[in-house]
Amino acid sequence: MAGRTGPVLPATTQGTEWQVNLARKLAAKLVTGLIMIWVVATATFFLVLEMPGNPALTVEANDMSHGMSPQQAASATAAMFGFVPKQPLADQYRHYIWQLLHFNLGVSIAQEGTPVSHIVASAAPWTVILAVFGIIFSFLIGVCLGVLTAIRRTTRLADGMTLLGAIINGLPVYLIAILLFYVFTTIWAIFPQGGNVSVLENPGWNAGYIGSIITHAILPVACYTLAGVGAWQLTTKSSVISVLGDDFILAAELRGLRPLTVARYVARNAMLPLFTILAISLGLMFGGAVFIEDVFNYPGLGQLMISSITTKDFPVLDGAFLLIIVAVIAANILADLAYPLIDPRIRSAAGASS
Amino acid sequence: MSTSSISSIALPPEQLHEALQRSRRQRATRRWRLFVSTPGRIAASVIIVFFTLMAIIGPYLYPKNLPINPHDIYGAPSLAHPLGTDFEGTDVLALLVTGSRYVLFAAAVAAVITLGIGTLAGLAAGYYPRLAGSAIMRVADFVLAIPGFPVLIVLATIWQFGSPVAMGFVMGVFGWGGIARAVRAQTMSLRERGFIEAARGLGLPGRRIIFAEVLPNIAPYIGMNLMLAVTAFIYTEVGLFFIGVVSYTTSNWGVMLNQAVFQAGAATSTRGLSYLLSPLICILLITISLVTLSGAVDEFFNPRLRRIR
Repeated sequence: MAGRTGPVLPATTQGTEWQVNLARKLAAKLVTGLIMIWVVATATFFLVLEMPGNPALTVEANDMSHGMSPQQAASATAAMFGFVPKQPLADQYRHYIWQLLHFNLGVSIAQEGTPVSHIVASAAPWTVILAVFGIIFSFLIGVCLGVLTAIRRTTRLADGMTLLGAIINGLPVYLIAILLFYVFTTIWAIFPQGGNVSVLENPGWNAGYIGSIITHAILPVACYTLAGVGAWQLTTKSSVISVLGDDFILAAELRGLRPLTVARYVARNAMLPLFTILAISLGLMFGGAVFIEDVFNYPGLGQLMISSITTKDFPVLDGAFLLIIVAVIAANILADLAYPLIDPRIRSAAGASS
Repeated sequence: MSTSSISSIALPPEQLHEALQRSRRQRATRRWRLFVSTPGRIAASVIIVFFTLMAIIGPYLYPKNLPINPHDIYGAPSLAHPLGTDFEGTDVLALLVTGSRYVLFAAAVAAVITLGIGTLAGLAAGYYPRLAGSAIMRVADFVLAIPGFPVLIVLATIWQFGSPVAMGFVMGVFGWGGIARAVRAQTMSLRERGFIEAARGLGLPGRRIIFAEVLPNIAPYIGMNLMLAVTAFIYTEVGLFFIGVVSYTTSNWGVMLNQAVFQAGAATSTRGLSYLLSPLICILLITISLVTLSGAVDEFFNPRLRRIR
């Protein structure tokens, strides 16, 4: 990575060398990830201290005015926020981190008494369902379109599709969400107006309930798909074009290999750069989740963040925020780790990059 | 640049200077012809100039408090109101024009900050890969990996960055990672090129090499990335107002969208169609124009992308 190339090793030692490097890289990535999470958690701690009117002190004063003794109020506040407002800062901080390590994110203010971890855990699956299907569909459609534009790259159709891909890639998610919402629930009302499932259905594994979940999910998933498809298309296109120009493809064609075999060579090599944007797209997905869930009133993490701002429920806001950050960082680490497993060139260069 | 100066090294200085000027002029004309040959790019430039003028001059054309008219709520487009009226009977075109200043000004502030931090960090990381490179890039990766939008939402709860300068500052601080990466990659590849090695061999100080030799050569890449960054900034700031987490004193496109979708019910009736669509179309036009122009910049400086005519 830094332009240094390691000594050329004999073929026999290269295998173990790679494994050692991979293990070292894994450890480094994990440490980096943990440091990032720690930085974000610390920043969140100070954000809570800085929040308007200091929610912790407000809650403590509120408890005391309701007849709690100062002792009781202090411990109730500690249970809610994960730290005690009047203790020295260092103690508060230690207490907060300690609670965090036990996945104790405090207690919600708006829904009194409910642990934040429960609220966040019930919202997360809805976000994950939408985002995962959105990634799958945008990947499949985008890669197909990208390969098509790469093969037909000299035609007007490909020019148009490239421009379209660039524009779709640049479109704000909320623009897509508002337009889809407006067209398919207001002008041509074929989909339900928001929510995750109809309240009329009995929860459980019955056709009505599942069907309701699906009809409610179609538009949000379409938003994720449209938001992601442009990036996949453009990356696939440039990747396939650069592989098609490679000498080994020409050689394979000249040797008279079957087109299917050549296509497999192209596919294997062109797939690699796509993994770098997989991690980036995960981060963008969570950015988009806020808008999509807000427009479609879908009870996921994004909507939870927005609603907890309106109700000034800061523990929930921080819980949802921390979960999103941890998910994105974990996804980045996984993508980094998967990369050398897929690309042998990176595997052998792993020793060169620090 | 390097090849032309080496081939004409035998000329006396004044002639050399003249030849260089001439070749620069010729290159500029060639690029200009290439640019004018596609109508889409001219249209894109016109749109950007139009919106910039709108943001600078537009607000002076309207009174500070736009008139409301309770008898003309969600009015259809007419001669008096070319884009119809909103839920208070205010002219949508007036809202659009007066709201453009905030959007473009904040994006410009963010662009300047991104340009500054991203370029300096990228140049330093690329030119001194060992000293500064890994440390700077670790920070850049951190900024890139953290989903900026949730961070801005959480920040909005403690700091009301409603003013355009504060908004631009916050977006810029969280938005420079991409440009830093691009600049670093370009700098690292330039660093190994002959003319930079020659400059190093002459004993020129690193600062001079970076700003006089490396920077001019990667300026187009910075410009291209900056255009894409600006679309992202417009998208982010309008988004923050759209979901309603930032307080505002004057209306802008994001506030319009927020009121249309969540408060005035324009998204659930067909009456407020023009009110809902107007800010969206403006964002769409700016996005398309900037994407087109960044593609043009890419093609100018990447001859491989140029079509054979």
